[in-house]
Amino acid sequence: MLGYILRRILAVIPVMLLVAVFVFLLLRLTPGDPAAIIAGDMATPAQLERIREAMGLNQPLHIQFITWIGQLLRGDLGTSLISNTPVSSMIASRMGPTLAIALLTIIMSVLLAVPMGVLAAWKHRSAADYAVMAFSVLGFSIPVFVIGYIFILIFSLKLGWFPVQGYTPISAGLLPFLKNAFLPALTLTTIYVALIARMTRANMLEVLGEDYIRTARAKGAPERTVLFRHALKNAAVPILTVIGTGFALLIGGVVVTETVFNIPGIGRLTVDAILARDYPVIQAMILLTSFLYVLVNLLIDISYSLFDPRIRY
Amino acid sequence: MQFKSRNFDDAAIAIETDNLTVALPDTAGQPQVLKGIDVTIRQGETVCLVGESGSGKSVTSLAIMGLLPDALKVTDGKINLQGENLLPLSQAQMRELRAARVAMIFQEPMTALNPVLRVGDQITEVMELHTKLPPSERRKRAIAIMEQVHLPDVERIFRSYPHQLSGGQRQRIMIAMALVLEPVLLIADEPTTALDVTTQKQILSLIGELQANHGTAVLFITHDMGVVAEIADTVYVMKHGEIVESGPVEQILRHPQKDYTRALLASVPSLSPRPARPDVSDIVLQVDRLNKIYGGGGILKKLPRAHAAKDVSFTLTRGRTLGIVGESGSGKSTVARCIMRLIDPTSGQIRLDGSDIASLSRNQLRPHRKKLQVVFQDPMRSLNPRWTIARSLTEGPLNYGTSKSEAMAEAARLLNVVGLPEDALHRYPHMFSGGQRQRIAIARAVMMRPDVLVADEAVSALDVSVQAQVLDLLDQLQQELGIAIVFITHDLRVAAQICDDVIVMQRGAVVEHGPAGDVLGSPVHPYTRALIDAAPGRDWDFQNFRKMSEAPNARPA
Repeated sequence: MLGYILRRILAVIPVMLLVAVFVFLLLRLTPGDPAAIIAGDMATPAQLERIREAMGLNQPLHIQFITWIGQLLRGDLGTSLISNTPVSSMIASRMGPTLAIALLTIIMSVLLAVPMGVLAAWKHRSAADYAVMAFSVLGFSIPVFVIGYIFILIFSLKLGWFPVQGYTPISAGLLPFLKNAFLPALTLTTIYVALIARMTRANMLEVLGEDYIRTARAKGAPERTVLFRHALKNAAVPILTVIGTGFALLIGGVVVTETVFNIPGIGRLTVDAILARDYPVIQAMILLTSFLYVLVNLLIDISYSLFDPRIRY
Repeated sequence: MQFKSRNFDDAAIAIETDNLTVALPDTAGQPQVLKGIDVTIRQGETVCLVGESGSGKSVTSLAIMGLLPDALKVTDGKINLQGENLLPLSQAQMRELRAARVAMIFQEPMTALNPVLRVGDQITEVMELHTKLPPSERRKRAIAIMEQVHLPDVERIFRSYPHQLSGGQRQRIMIAMALVLEPVLLIADEPTTALDVTTQKQILSLIGELQANHGTAVLFITHDMGVVAEIADTVYVMKHGEIVESGPVEQILRHPQKDYTRALLASVPSLSPRPARPDVSDIVLQVDRLNKIYGGGGILKKLPRAHAAKDVSFTLTRGRTLGIVGESGSGKSTVARCIMRLIDPTSGQIRLDGSDIASLSRNQLRPHRKKLQVVFQDPMRSLNPRWTIARSLTEGPLNYGTSKSEAMAEAARLLNVVGLPEDALHRYPHMFSGGQRQRIAIARAVMMRPDVLVADEAVSALDVSVQAQVLDLLDQLQQELGIAIVFITHDLRVAAQICDDVIVMQRGAVVEHGPAGDVLGSPVHPYTRALIDAAPGRDWDFQNFRKMSEAPNARPA
């Protein structure tokens, strides 16, 4: 097991190296002179030369790459072309809100969706089952921004329970944080509940038809034990996969919710950078999201063996 | 054959069903699945419920457990457990009774245990649900019952997961789980059908031993008459939801009253081999020192090696049948798959009509594929469910350039040969019974006009009466077309009836090889002898309703 984890961690290196090469070439291979792209249309030849000098663009490609990787390894992600601040500190300040809302969303989604899915499978083809499935279809099909505005209309404007927009960090206290973070998280939860509840239902339905479920009932186990001790653990692996990939998507930042609720998160940082052609920031964001994806997938794979003893590495 | 001849008239009645009727209330016409079943089981008695698939054996057992699927409802009758009618009981009351007073073990030990829970915890769970024993006491009792079912190294097995145990060990765990609370009645639904004969023998004697120690009443459901002869006190024969005939085991086997019972007994294949057909010199398949080694590869560490087939050699001539028998893991299926080149042999030769196909590439193999066809074990899964029978039958010939009309005509003709109506061509597999589907699978194989047919446990999933028909069909095709058959089976009775020559395999190696009459009639190798000894009911001549030793020209088995 430990050997497996070690091998998987080592396997992250070539994956990230590939991503790094891609990100590096992204700027170098775009048609035109990177310095010209960076400097913009109004730059003078002298300015261009200065930028080339600063970025090492005069050097051969492989030297440029090695220098760049060296900077990355030292935590130097470059400097933003727009704000002239280090990219690493920009990302650090935006990571907090995104991560907090992602965690809150996943926790609420799992707490809601898993029992819903279990219920739907247990009461297969009953009113409860159809209700869960109908909710799933709705949660999937209504655009996120619509749900967000509806929630703002109901909970903020009519009932006045939550502020309309904005973000307060956890460091300012749990309650103020929750007040601001709850609505955006709830908005995202509707999608994830739909996804996870569907997955739970499908897998529970399959497991409930297995022989060992009949054995559990023949032992005189009450339904609660049958469902949660015998069935859910067997259905866990695919559910876990969906939860994991869902979480990875969330920490990549969700632009729509961040925009609707005016949250200074990763999603907006990325979109702003793309619109402003802020290449160092775009590069850093691609590297970061790829790394988080690889990391989350690794954690999911490892967690499989906690649920299914047949999976041994 | 020593039957049980115990008398239970004085023993208390453990369970009794009285006019038990089960129907499908939501289906048009509300068909009855059980039509007034009366079964009585006394303390310490073993009652065998026999019948073919669909006869209602399992429905009876599930009705007693109160675990009928939602579509089925008890519409009439009583189920009295020690005098108390179970049918009016609430869900919660039934739950309390399960495992505590009525316990059940199932057919498939591979799937009946929860794969993600430790087996020890699965045993203690029974006590957790039904008693107030503290955890330490639960564990002590679980260990004790595991010792009683003769599991080795109980402390280690207690901590094991099901996939770490063998089939026999898992079934012992199931039995331990069922008996830990000393129930009045144990229902065993085909508990040994999925096990090897030698394991089956051990499990049957274990159930007998525990029954004697605890005085449990046993309801044993089986389709295997051999098992019935070994263990039953009383036999109930079921057909289409009705009890056809019942009585003490010897009476049923010696003097069956009803035609159905006689037919059922007559279709049990005999263990005495049929005479071999005259040998011909026309060799179609010759296997020479075939080896298959799995594993040994691996990038970071060497994987363990398994020698699945060791120096297997045999020849097969036109129109004859070679049986490969052995228990699970003996390598018989590995050999079959190597011959068909579904897997690649590690070394050795496979000469089909004179040319060695053991090391040909996929493309080079193509012209030879036609000569080698296969029929698999499970007819439910070996036909494409979304294809019509016509499409399944003609696919092969069309691939080899036969014209569509020609292939369709041949498909219609062959369906006739295998005893199915021509309109079956345009139907789908799910519209046929298991036996019919196996006939279709055979027709599909024969469509290609093969020289060699590999039948991998081709009749093992079928009821005995259907089994007999399919074996007859193979025999008939063989006579008409001169096909040579490699017949893989774990069932010595079937092997005795269909094979001219037999190979006995154990752990990848051939331990005995010769004419069926010699190998099964007077086995030389101790493993072959052990296999024959373990065959249940081997001293009884089912077709003639007498002991083997009472036959006129009796030959010691």
